[in-house]
Amino acid sequence: MKFFWRILDLIVAGVFIYAGVLKILDPVQFANDIDNYKTLPWFVSVRLALYLPWLEIFCGLAVLFRFLYRGGLSILTALIAVFITATVAAKMRGLDISCGCFGHASKNWSFPQHLAIDLSIFVALVALLSIELMGRARHDQKT
Amino acid sequence: MKLRVVREGLLLIALACLPAVGEGIYFRDKISWQSPIPASELATVDQARAWGDGAIWVDARPEEEFARDHVPGAFSLNEDHWNELLPQFLPNWSPGKKVVVYCSAESCNAAREVAKRLRDDAQLNDVFVLQGGWEEWVKRNR
Repeated sequence: MKFFWRILDLIVAGVFIYAGVLKILDPVQFANDIDNYKTLPWFVSVRLALYLPWLEIFCGLAVLFRFLYRGGLSILTALIAVFITATVAAKMRGLDISCGCFGHASKNWSFPQHLAIDLSIFVALVALLSIELMGRARHDQKT
Repeated sequence: MKLRVVREGLLLIALACLPAVGEGIYFRDKISWQSPIPASELATVDQARAWGDGAIWVDARPEEEFARDHVPGAFSLNEDHWNELLPQFLPNWSPGKKVVVYCSAESCNAAREVAKRLRDDAQLNDVFVLQGGWEEWVKRNR
């Protein structure tokens, strides 16, 4: 079972590192993608566009190398939760958004596709975090 | 244990700041910090009208809105039907002509996206976004 969780670690880490690198290459496009949600002023969007991809990469690396592992998993879970909420809210407000999660590559994804992928990542992260925290709690009880 | 998670999280948040600042410095001239469209890529209605025949108007709104009404002489070109509409538009462009792209209002993004693609994909120069979009054009012309 440990092997399964490790594979899931690698997949989640890979997804965030890949997504982060794509966005770093075109920060202006990512700033536009954030701006499309119409929730933040431009000067915030552009700064987030410079910062968030690095946070994704650092957290992805933390999960990949299991260094600062729980911190990385927690941040990624929070990021994806915020992102899902923003996507659903944008859809409800009738905004035609491209998520920007995988740079311009994800531009043509439909809303259900966005949501399915985001929810899958969210479920994987919650599972990994739960396993880690439960395992840690058990370990702390023993010692 | 919770404290450790928070500490790890804060460390990652702080670490990510460093390359982000570096990237900001690297891209400082390529990023428009205060507005999504740099001032040099915007055109006001008066400016665009003054260009007269030297400008081509591009309507980036959905086709139904274009069919309802549009700037006289404008071409419909939106991202949804980019591949079909671009070949219809390109023969009307000639070097030296300015392209003015508009969408519904100041807050829409379609004009910005179409202008970007005209510059990047179609390699056109002198592509501008109409400030205030169709809404502003209507206000100034009716």
